[in-house]
Amino acid sequence: MVIEGLFYTKEHEWAKVDGDTATIGITDYAQEQLGEITFVELPAVGKEVKQKDELAVVESSKAASDVYSPMSGKVTQVNSDLESTPEQINDDCYNAGWICTIEITDAKVIDNLMDSKQYEEYLNGL
Amino acid sequence: MAKSDNLGHFSFKNNEKTAVGSVLYNEHLRLIEKNRFAEFAGYLMPLWFSSISAEHNAVRESAGLFDCTHMGILEFAGKNARDFLNIIATNDTGKLKTGSAQYNYILDAAGNVLDDIIIYRLSEDKYMVVVNAANEPKIKAYLEALINNDAIVDIEKPQRKLDYKPAIRDMRDPNNGTDCRVDIALQGPKSMVLLLSMISKEKDREQLENLKSFHLFETELDGYDCIISRTGYTGAKIGFELFVHPEKAADLWSLLLEKGKSLGIIPCGLGARDSLRIEAGLPLYGHELAGEFNINPFEAGYGWAVKLEKEFFIGQAAMRKKAEARNMQVARIELPGQKGIRPARSHDGILDENGLCVGWVLSCAGVSDKQIALVYISSKTIERNPPLGLYYLARSKGQIEKGKKDKARKNEKLEPDIPGKIIERFAKF
Repeated sequence: MVIEGLFYTKEHEWAKVDGDTATIGITDYAQEQLGEITFVELPAVGKEVKQKDELAVVESSKAASDVYSPMSGKVTQVNSDLESTPEQINDDCYNAGWICTIEITDAKVIDNLMDSKQYEEYLNGL
Repeated sequence: MAKSDNLGHFSFKNNEKTAVGSVLYNEHLRLIEKNRFAEFAGYLMPLWFSSISAEHNAVRESAGLFDCTHMGILEFAGKNARDFLNIIATNDTGKLKTGSAQYNYILDAAGNVLDDIIIYRLSEDKYMVVVNAANEPKIKAYLEALINNDAIVDIEKPQRKLDYKPAIRDMRDPNNGTDCRVDIALQGPKSMVLLLSMISKEKDREQLENLKSFHLFETELDGYDCIISRTGYTGAKIGFELFVHPEKAADLWSLLLEKGKSLGIIPCGLGARDSLRIEAGLPLYGHELAGEFNINPFEAGYGWAVKLEKEFFIGQAAMRKKAEARNMQVARIELPGQKGIRPARSHDGILDENGLCVGWVLSCAGVSDKQIALVYISSKTIERNPPLGLYYLARSKGQIEKGKKDKARKNEKLEPDIPGKIIERFAKF
């Protein structure tokens, strides 16, 4: 499942841009690959990241996967519900399974991301 | 051609091949998308169908069906098949009766474990040997080297040759006609009920009901010729392996699923196969056996399958020394595992009550709200049985920057992340 209006990375993160804030999560393809997610390591609020920097770690019984930041900016909020209910990412990766929000400092890097159509084509090629 | 070196060490490198689907691949594709498959030993195998935990629970509460058609199946036939197997395998193979099966190891002359196998005696002069899919090419090359006198048999008598040359056939090779077999496993308490409902002959139903662990017989399941063996890799008290013709495997698979549905029987993937065997305490070659720690059967808890006192088997002298020298062992431990607890992984450190690293995690699985890990730790720690700790290794650059180590060294003092305790080496269900 791919949602229109979001931006995507090749590493299967999504970003929803609203003004100068981006909400970040992992895609349906990524959660499906990981299987039952049992642990999420969230970034610290205030952390400054560049695009492609490590942002979080998502782990299932089968794999640990780094989540890379699709954006450059400062982490403003984290979804701390995921610490006790990480399975929200499996259940609803585009809404309740959001990982954090970032205050965008460099909007140019959005050009490096795929839109939903491009991401869908990318998935078809995998 | 693969040969052993002067010390009796046999090494073999698998050819890199593109992974292919198993004979049940098209059946699986009806249930799951392509991205649910993983490459395993040259095959594309399903990781899970519903979820690892649902499949795990199905095997413990009703039953699960496993695609094991990737497993290697070799037939050893002829007058000297028995004597040949008794020399290449470590257990009392010579005493194996028709209709029974036995767990065994194949070693090289240096005492390295090349594979763990099950030998099934089908008739007076016919044996079936199931080998690990990942080891099949190596075992075939080793057998060929032995038969061609290219591998050392006895390091104490390097001139010693094998006189026995049994007829060895690959049972999965379609050229072998109606004798061909592949393995499908049906594991769990309801497996008996389902199989009984598919056997028409009264006598065969009785035989199945009375079939003991590690015994087998031939029958028909709704018209499909099968060897049914009460063996498996899940720890289930009631569980079977069904050996069927590869061309019939897909039909039998879908029939078993259809008829098993009302009993709660579901298809299971590699994920549940791994979590079930870990929970049961069963070793996986390359992890709890051989592998980077070169773990031997005595360390793995299977010394009973290595008959050091028998007249001769390949690797006996070397194994005798290894059995005496051991000071590390495989243990099963329990760790917290509720949601939000980071899963333990291979190489994470195991700490004693003083925070000293006494060994490492080999495999780990989440089972309900716990984690069960198979670990390789010092025998002295197992004897003392102190409360343990687990040290997570860094999994990313960010964690290393925060001070997490990416390697736990023996006897190093570390801060435990979660507590653990040793539990019985094997679980009973």
